[in-house]
Amino acid sequence: MKVIGIIPAYNEGEKALATAKACLEYVDYIILVDDGSNKDIAQEESQNITYLRHSINRGQGAALRTGTTAALNMGADIIVHLDADGQHDPAQIPELLKPLVDNEIDVVFGSRFMGIEPQGMPKSRRILLWCGRWFNTFAQGIPRTVTDPQSGFRAIRATIADQINFKQDRMAHASEILRLVTRSNLKWQEVPVRVFYTEESLKKGQKNLDALKIAWQLFIGAFTR
Amino acid sequence: MLIQVLLIFGFCFAIWITWKRYGQNAISLKEAILWSILWLGGVSVTLIPKITERLALLFGVGRGVDLILYLAVAIQFFLIFKLFVNNEKLERILTKIVQDGALTGSSQSPKNNTSLTDLDKK
Repeated sequence: MKVIGIIPAYNEGEKALATAKACLEYVDYIILVDDGSNKDIAQEESQNITYLRHSINRGQGAALRTGTTAALNMGADIIVHLDADGQHDPAQIPELLKPLVDNEIDVVFGSRFMGIEPQGMPKSRRILLWCGRWFNTFAQGIPRTVTDPQSGFRAIRATIADQINFKQDRMAHASEILRLVTRSNLKWQEVPVRVFYTEESLKKGQKNLDALKIAWQLFIGAFTR
Repeated sequence: MLIQVLLIFGFCFAIWITWKRYGQNAISLKEAILWSILWLGGVSVTLIPKITERLALLFGVGRGVDLILYLAVAIQFFLIFKLFVNNEKLERILTKIVQDGALTGSSQSPKNNTSLTDLDKK
């Protein structure tokens, strides 16, 4: 079974390569998508790492789509999405893969709210994600049983990857993927994952105000064919 | 009155431009007809201002001018929304081009790449 991890990276420098190398213990290949960084991200010759580059920044969702297409071309059986900034623990990839291998599940989402305490998550972020869960339920029809409204750590069975035809280029892709999966006939499951928030990742990552941007992107996206 | 003459000239010019754009295939027939109806509405209101008062009464608005202002604001909101949607469509096309470049390996590294910011400076 060929498992390919996709890591979108924007101005991550050495960090993206370090994350990719840490993941190689749990996946067969890594596709590192440089999403138009101002300076080339660190690269190292490896048979198991493929580097792709967007000529200009198009957003994490767009980079994941590029990586997913490349993974399908490479004959992936399972595709894993994860962040470049080290927030996601690569050692948890086997937890994500287990339901896909054992239970014929199609998509597995990593959840930060199923028992494993997210380390360093600010209280404001926690409240915002709680609100995001309600927003997803009422505005998008995502079941209330989904505990993490904005999970970026997920594993997808390659045979159904093209059914998840997400269009959002930027941060709203996570909610869009949730909506597409939970409102289809696909079998999905959430598993608890460990997430680390560092000062650096909080500084560079999503801001609380981005929640409004995500809501706006989803709204405009709903009217765009 | 002079203002009526100027407005009618303005609306006639808008109708001429609309159909010229249709002739150039820049807008569809449906859009050309819709815009023409809007401009003809403007001509009618300019020639017979009492129309707006009757319409205002029909909608329960005090004055005809108020009705025109309310309509203008609503139309502007709609047009701005349409611009956002069109912008999103263009963004998606741009992303597709960038993705195709990445997948065929034709994307350049930042050293050789002229960024959009650089273009802005030029």
